[in-house]
Amino acid sequence: MTPTQLLLALLLIPFCSGLIAFAMRWLGSGSRQLATLIHLVSISLVLVFSVLVINRVLADGALTALGHWFHIDSLGAIFLALVGGVGFLTGLYSIGYMNHEVRNGEIDVKTLCNYYGFFSLFISTMVLVVIANNVILMWVAVEATTIGSAFLVGLYGQRTSLEASWKYIIICSVGVAFGLYGTVLIFSNASNLPMLSDPELATSWMHLVQHAQLLDPTLTTIAFVFILIGFGTKAGLFPMHTWLPDAYAEAPSPVSALLSSALSNCAFLIIIRYFIIASKTLGPGMPQNLLLAFGIMSIACAALFIIVQRDIKRLLAYSSVENIGIVALAFGIGGPLGIIAGLLHALNNSIAKALAFCGSGNILLKYGTRDMKAVKGVMNVMPASAVFFGIGVLALGGLPPFNVFVSEFLVVSAGIKAGNAWLTIIIMLLLAMVFAGIVRMVTGSLLGDAPENVQKGELSLIKLVPMAIFVVIMLWMGIRMPQPVVTLLENATKIVLNKGDAPLDVSVQTPWQMLSANTSQNVAPKPASEVATTTASH
Amino acid sequence: MTGTLIVNGLAGLLIVTSLLVIGAKKPTSSAVQYSLQSLVLVLIFVALAQTRHAHELNAWAITAFITKVVLVPVIMYKALGSLKDPAADSAVIGPALTVIVSAVIVVLSYVVVGHVELPAVAELKPALGVSLGHFFLGLLCIVTQRNILKQIFGYCLMENGSHLTLALLAHAAPEIVEIGIATDAIFAVIIMIVIARQIHRTLHTLDVRQLTALKG
Repeated sequence: MTPTQLLLALLLIPFCSGLIAFAMRWLGSGSRQLATLIHLVSISLVLVFSVLVINRVLADGALTALGHWFHIDSLGAIFLALVGGVGFLTGLYSIGYMNHEVRNGEIDVKTLCNYYGFFSLFISTMVLVVIANNVILMWVAVEATTIGSAFLVGLYGQRTSLEASWKYIIICSVGVAFGLYGTVLIFSNASNLPMLSDPELATSWMHLVQHAQLLDPTLTTIAFVFILIGFGTKAGLFPMHTWLPDAYAEAPSPVSALLSSALSNCAFLIIIRYFIIASKTLGPGMPQNLLLAFGIMSIACAALFIIVQRDIKRLLAYSSVENIGIVALAFGIGGPLGIIAGLLHALNNSIAKALAFCGSGNILLKYGTRDMKAVKGVMNVMPASAVFFGIGVLALGGLPPFNVFVSEFLVVSAGIKAGNAWLTIIIMLLLAMVFAGIVRMVTGSLLGDAPENVQKGELSLIKLVPMAIFVVIMLWMGIRMPQPVVTLLENATKIVLNKGDAPLDVSVQTPWQMLSANTSQNVAPKPASEVATTTASH
Repeated sequence: MTGTLIVNGLAGLLIVTSLLVIGAKKPTSSAVQYSLQSLVLVLIFVALAQTRHAHELNAWAITAFITKVVLVPVIMYKALGSLKDPAADSAVIGPALTVIVSAVIVVLSYVVVGHVELPAVAELKPALGVSLGHFFLGLLCIVTQRNILKQIFGYCLMENGSHLTLALLAHAAPEIVEIGIATDAIFAVIIMIVIARQIHRTLHTLDVRQLTALKG
């Protein structure tokens, strides 16, 4: 298949599936099964095509399609892996979760068809965010994600879910409108350059990066601030995060997982795309300092809320604010190690967060509440769900040997390597606070005696299998990162740092791989220069 | 020169119509005022098309007329007309203060764009200032109005502001991009209307102060 066919298929399959799922509501008695089938086909094909596209990027480099409209490089491929992979697993989990809701009369079959319809449309809009090369199309896609997901947030139609849905659409629409101003400023700035006088080139991100050093510094500064506020709202950075705890807590759990794992990262991808432009125009100082400030504020704010939180899903939502803060912080620290750490953390947090939200969904289905005071003894009631959920949230706190520990370790290493000792100490204290809040939730909810009115027994297999797959991936990423992931991360870091094909002076490894490398070095000493490089990367 | 004067003058009229949208008592009146405002925006597009020989702006004017002068106001008139909540019909600040704050916003926006050095808008800085000010007027409406329907209108005002900025700075961008932005805006408004109607049906209120169950 040509790149155009591949990317169009990736975009149009979920879009058309969404429309078909909407239409299923008029099919009468068979509509539930057919809508579910369409949904399953859609998420499976998106996964398959995502893998095909990523493989092609790994083999041939960046793909460009439809003139200058679509472009996917290693940086985009990382985020496409999230949309395709997490989309598939949360979509699979959705089938069991939403069937349970239909059986219990929480929603009717028409709402189920709407759910599957909007789920696929939402996936389609996120794919568009990742593959768009035209900067205005990127904005259109991000705004479309809000439209696609607002209904999903307010699906239950209750007081709290409607309130959350309203806050979500208003705050995100307003926030993202700031992003449009930033985008237009960059475009009009670029269109004054002779080599970008063709509007198609002045809106092409690839060409903007190529000539970014010629852009006007003042306008680029204003534009980057607008973009950071605009897309930072959607990513969930403090202080624009106010919609996030409400939306994540009130949405059905699979949607919370998708919002947290895929959407906030898609929004951050756009920030990274402009970070690359701004760094080339202004030098890395200003963009890095801004991200550093937003990152620290997000981590600090989230840590304070996590330590006092009593609602399981709101705690996970604040953990999302904390983790997107860590990603921003890593980019703020900069350098090859900081960028690698940031990208890896975006990936790792998404996987663990999706698992934790699915686990919280199982608890909610069983206990009917998210209140930690009422949720006790999950380990006795449904041990498998409890273990998976426990792994998910403890991993989010940075427990080894899971994947999040590796990326947090790299972020801290990057901070130390950059000479920010005080900053690193503050961050570690905040992370310790977060871990304390998470341990409090795990011990309070999973252990102890279950309430008498909660019937013991595990939920169906379809609600457990996706969680088990997440656990396997987390362990894999935490112990020995797969080579394709390492290659993507290294290539994406080169793109962010504008390094071309020059080798990076750090290697992407888990701490255990580093230890074993050091051990083998001790057995067979390497040349002094190589040892210094490896040590610096610690 | 005359064309530039017309564009800048019409941009000023945009601010007046904004205040009418914010100040209107009923959602149906706001819908009518919004339609009027969009008509002014369409006229600006036509004037800009003539002044700068940018014929793509004529197409923008046609799509804006269909969507913003007719389609969206009609949808809002029909969908919001029956929704009432007298308790929500007050604002955090009164009409006089709203006018003063709006004036400050517009002046500040004009000062800010004064520093922008772009040849494309050298003579149209008042209009550019208005477009930015208009965006923040929409934000003011969202922040100060207690009625959630007014917040939808606030979003529409912001959207008109950014639409004018686009026309001034990015009218040469590919046509499909403008269609994408317009489509996004229409669907955003439709989804907002659907959620507002659900809120009114379920909670029997349009007052943003009643939407405070979620905290912490």
